[in-house]
Amino acid sequence: MTGAELTIDLLAKHGVNEVFGYPGGAIMPIYDALYGAPVKHYLTRHEQGAGFAAVGFARSTGKLGVCFATSGPGATNLITALADAMMDSVPLLAITGQVPTAAIGSDAFQEIDVLGMSLSCTKHSYMVERSEDLAEILQEAMHLAQSGRPGPVLVDIPKDIQMAQVPFHPWLAADDYLPVLDLNQVAIANQLLSEAKQPVAYVGGGVQAADAQAQLMQFLEKTQMPAVSTLKALGSVLPDYEYHLGMLGMHGGQAANLAVQECDVLVCIGARFDDRVTGNLGKFAAKAKVIHLDIDAAEVGKRKPAKASLIADLKSSLPQLECFVTEQAWLAHTKAMMTEYAWRYDYPGEKVFAPYLLNQLSQRMPQNGVVCCDVGQHQMWVAQHMKFSHPSNHLSSGGAGTMGFGLPAAIGAQVARPNDFVITVSGDGSIMMNIQELATIRRNNLPVKILILDNQRLGMVRQWQELFFEGRYSETDLSDNPDFVQLAAVFGIPGQTITHANQVDDAITALVNSEGPYIVHACIDDKENVWPLVPPGAANDEMMTESAK
Amino acid sequence: MKHSLTVALKNQSVAVERFLRVVRHRGFNLTHFQLNMDDGQYHVAMTVDSDKPIHLLTTQLNKLVDVKQVTLENLHQQAM
Repeated sequence: MTGAELTIDLLAKHGVNEVFGYPGGAIMPIYDALYGAPVKHYLTRHEQGAGFAAVGFARSTGKLGVCFATSGPGATNLITALADAMMDSVPLLAITGQVPTAAIGSDAFQEIDVLGMSLSCTKHSYMVERSEDLAEILQEAMHLAQSGRPGPVLVDIPKDIQMAQVPFHPWLAADDYLPVLDLNQVAIANQLLSEAKQPVAYVGGGVQAADAQAQLMQFLEKTQMPAVSTLKALGSVLPDYEYHLGMLGMHGGQAANLAVQECDVLVCIGARFDDRVTGNLGKFAAKAKVIHLDIDAAEVGKRKPAKASLIADLKSSLPQLECFVTEQAWLAHTKAMMTEYAWRYDYPGEKVFAPYLLNQLSQRMPQNGVVCCDVGQHQMWVAQHMKFSHPSNHLSSGGAGTMGFGLPAAIGAQVARPNDFVITVSGDGSIMMNIQELATIRRNNLPVKILILDNQRLGMVRQWQELFFEGRYSETDLSDNPDFVQLAAVFGIPGQTITHANQVDDAITALVNSEGPYIVHACIDDKENVWPLVPPGAANDEMMTESAK
Repeated sequence: MKHSLTVALKNQSVAVERFLRVVRHRGFNLTHFQLNMDDGQYHVAMTVDSDKPIHLLTTQLNKLVDVKQVTLENLHQQAM
């Protein structure tokens, strides 16, 4: 068996049935081994598209996402997706072809030090130096990507090793090093919980990574503790939970941010006090004693000290928390804030109001549908105005904030979940960053839906220019955008443009009812901003709102 | 504040590179670095200088697959 054949064989044995990639010189033996193999390959039109499709596949299922690229520029094009997966803890395996071993270090054609480049954007990476190591490395790589705190792993395979006859040795994973809960810390945490008058659960992406939604909901339902979610956690707290205050942070809801600022105990469940969450860290939840639950010890105390740290898999740590029922006075206060600061959709103008459109879409699309965002204003509106029943239904580039994520991520999600409704919500800036993937939709007849919220601007940058750069709109005007419906039509994708509020309902009907792919190009007000907003350097209770800007 | 650490690493060049990248990126300046190989492992003795608490470095180093052990030598200087 050649190294290339072994690579495909091991993927299949590991249960990988779909991979995303783009061929080229140094990975040709692996593509030759793919020919007729049981592993289905989806050809994207750019390696970054392959990387994000694999991320979308992984995030929409919790399974390993796999992508292939050739050496040199093929591999460099994957780097952004690896960085994105690193920031958002996504289980991803990237396999890159490399120039033959004898040519490494000679500046050969399409030779780049991919291992060197991978160091800052992978959980771990390998370059295979001996053919006899290939089997073990691949098996270890798949294991590492999915174990502990998940992340991207890269395996760079020189072409001669792909072509060599290689031995196969089954590799038995060493017992996972899973941190053992410190029972003293559990006792401290439960003491803090017993004394809490105004507790808040701050829920992060770790809940999805640990597949711990059931344990989370059990804790919340027994305690009735008010909960707030990070961008990545959305969907972890079920939408009908009465005390979910929504997303916190820079564009979080006022009730969520104010509750956290007022709380006396903050139970951080698989989150990492990201700067977009905390605003001014010194003023964030300043009165709160922190109980931090995370599998990654490096996240505890990294940004905010914890009084109790439960370093373990959330599935085992969450049930250790005692469930004291939250005091009525605090519940009444948070409920009153939820009512006072509820989102409003009574937009006075005739234009399409993006929050209303998204809220309607959320109500009318199938409940288990997947929404894949790009990055910018539309991303925040999705987080604010759509509801999700599981974090695998909301794919949004959180830590890295990568424009161009949405369309290829939706392709990956649709491949992974062929019977589910999958839509990418994008902006007129972001969609152009991986627009070539319309060809992948066409090639594979994928029924991916596309909603573009078009303000003819790089809206989030424009908003900051308006608010913090004296209205100097440097390079954010996109009024020369192409006609997106015509553009989609070239790829065989039907759709419509809407410009008025009274067209929204029919457009959603067309999106939801279309059996194949469909695009809605919604023209929105170019001056619409995302509110509320915590300005840079401010505390989360110093939010700017539309009326107070 | 200066901190002395010893680190046992897998004996591959990339392990040293990966580990030094983390030291730099997490905001610690190297003031001393010594590398020896013994028992099939690299052994690093180093001193770093930073205003940041040392646990911000040790916890990150402990996560690296190639890092076998991290020991803080001067515990009395450890700032938590």
